[in-house]
Amino acid sequence: MGIDRRKFLKIAAVSGGAACTALSGTAQASGPQVPADPGYGMLNDSTRCIGCKACQSACKQINTLQRESALPQDAELYDAPRSLSENTHTLIKMHRDEKSGEATFVKEQCMHCIDPACQSACLVGALIKEDTGAVTWDGGKCMGCRYCMVACPYNVPQFEWHKAIPDITKCNLCNEKRVKKGQATACATACPADAIVFGKRDELIRIARTRIAAKPEAYNPHIYGEKEVGGTNVLYLTKAKVNFASIGLPAFGYKAPPRLTEAIQHGVFKYFIPPVAIYAALGGIMYYNSRRHKVKGGQDHE
Amino acid sequence: MSKAAALRQTFWTPNVALLIFFMLSAAVFAFFRFFYGFGSVTNLNPEYPMGMWIAFDVACGVALAAGGFTTCLIVEIFGQHKYHALLRPALLTAFIGYMLVGMGVMFDLGRWFYIWHALVYWNGNSVLFEVAWCVMCYLSVLAVENVPNVVEEYKDRVNLPGPLRVFNNFVNACLKVAETVLGKVSFAFVLMGVVLSFGHQSSLGTMMLIAPYKLHELWFTPISPLLFLMSAICVGPSMVIFEGTLATYFFNRKSEVALLGDFAKFLPWFLGVYLIVRFGDVIVRGALPAAFQTTKYAAAFWVEMLLFAVPFIALMSKRVRFHGGKLFLSAFSVVLGVVAMRFNAYLIGMDMGPGWNYFPSVGEFAVTLGFIAFGVFLYKAAVNYLPILEKH
Repeated sequence: MGIDRRKFLKIAAVSGGAACTALSGTAQASGPQVPADPGYGMLNDSTRCIGCKACQSACKQINTLQRESALPQDAELYDAPRSLSENTHTLIKMHRDEKSGEATFVKEQCMHCIDPACQSACLVGALIKEDTGAVTWDGGKCMGCRYCMVACPYNVPQFEWHKAIPDITKCNLCNEKRVKKGQATACATACPADAIVFGKRDELIRIARTRIAAKPEAYNPHIYGEKEVGGTNVLYLTKAKVNFASIGLPAFGYKAPPRLTEAIQHGVFKYFIPPVAIYAALGGIMYYNSRRHKVKGGQDHE
Repeated sequence: MSKAAALRQTFWTPNVALLIFFMLSAAVFAFFRFFYGFGSVTNLNPEYPMGMWIAFDVACGVALAAGGFTTCLIVEIFGQHKYHALLRPALLTAFIGYMLVGMGVMFDLGRWFYIWHALVYWNGNSVLFEVAWCVMCYLSVLAVENVPNVVEEYKDRVNLPGPLRVFNNFVNACLKVAETVLGKVSFAFVLMGVVLSFGHQSSLGTMMLIAPYKLHELWFTPISPLLFLMSAICVGPSMVIFEGTLATYFFNRKSEVALLGDFAKFLPWFLGVYLIVRFGDVIVRGALPAAFQTTKYAAAFWVEMLLFAVPFIALMSKRVRFHGGKLFLSAFSVVLGVVAMRFNAYLIGMDMGPGWNYFPSVGEFAVTLGFIAFGVFLYKAAVNYLPILEKH
């Protein structure tokens, strides 16, 4: 090491500083982003759903999605998706509660979490929680890494497996096409049974409470999504004898998943102190050892 | 006195033909993957969106390239200069390894042509953002750290073919400038390489913590980043021993067991501390009962543990460390242990929901093997034409 101590410190400081400025974007403020107004959402009342799938076709229409036939021929004729997919952003499924044997139709779509794991996971910020409450995807940014699909506790984001240039697709709460124009979502508008209520999240919680209070014998007293994974903009009600876990809505914790990873991430990079401190400490050790090596006159490796 | 020199053996051997076969078969599957989508090649599905290309090519690739920063740490920073002969091959394999990781990421990105978006669209909350930046920076650092090899071989001997001859003097001047500059600042790159490695080796452990309801409790721990970093430090020297032994065998060189065996004395310490923290964490979190159920998770956990524990015990003995075959097997066991740990945390330990399963397809295996073959090919070319391995 043909350098003296002062030079060493100078270069170390410069390179450390350069690293700081280059990456200072990582040291953004963390903490739960629960706004005073979480925006719009939907209340899916599974006690009212009759399983007509009008919401499903409305969704396919407004988003111009392909039909998925259960038959090999006539692929255009019957739309019978089995699960959410790149062509199906919402789906009605019938679930049977194992204990009570009660059958329930449940609508599946993006939950539009208040603190979405997909948004936290996406390294380019292609998934964004909008002010309207919708979680939307930006094809101009997405690199197609599919980390959002891993991160989502409900496995909502889908990927176009059979395209050379694939998109991530999911329910966007009709954000651009309807909600921003002051209209309710396509599925909520299409529902003939009043099983999907569109509105402000606070209002939806109030409606849910009223419905439970009015018919306590018919409803499970829990409002799913009020607190799960930090709260979701899409909320669910179900029948008294039905467990939410049996209708595809597991008993997740109330902490949003990004709180742990972001705490670790921002802890490790707090104001860039830890990396710079490690850099400096290792630099000190290296300097000490190289001095000792030189004093010994050691060139023992050569 | 020994000094590194290019091997200058016959390069085109039957083994190289085998490597090229693997690379070509990967290229065939790559064609379908890039022009007809993932569905035409992989077994990936909505609930297993990340498969072997992430678990092996990226997660294991980064871990197995840890030889670079651990050897740097031991030799350059902690001043153990007697292991200097191991430094160049370690930095070379790290560089090749990270290059392959970059290529692996390209293969796995659905919209690969937007890979540069990581540079311009920033989400500092994303663990993957940190990994992407550290890997990019570290790849650059490794490139710089490998420049001296080129300088040493070609300085004042630049002889470009054909009409490129006119650039001979210019290239030579560049090499000289590089030599002068690097002589003064190489220490900064050494330090930066270690710090960047600490950053992304650990962040790879944070990645799956975003999915608390999918990752099994045997692997879901807030100290996962620490465990990933510690296991990377375990596998670094192990990879150096593993590769060193293979290089001596395939290039017909004199055994390095005296040096490698001495180098292996660090491993029982690294492995011991790792095992204590790993087991301690499982016990403190109360996840130990899950290890004694008859599930695939428990089995995967014990396989992983044994692959770490057996070499830990074996390498405590001097007889094992200085016995070529036993040393190689112990190092290989640590390598497999780390591979098992990455697969467990990224795939096997992930319960993604009912309805879907995942096992890599022939195409996925072919591409991964193609990457490995390409890495070996580059390594062979580099040690053949650049001063990487030391003469005896």
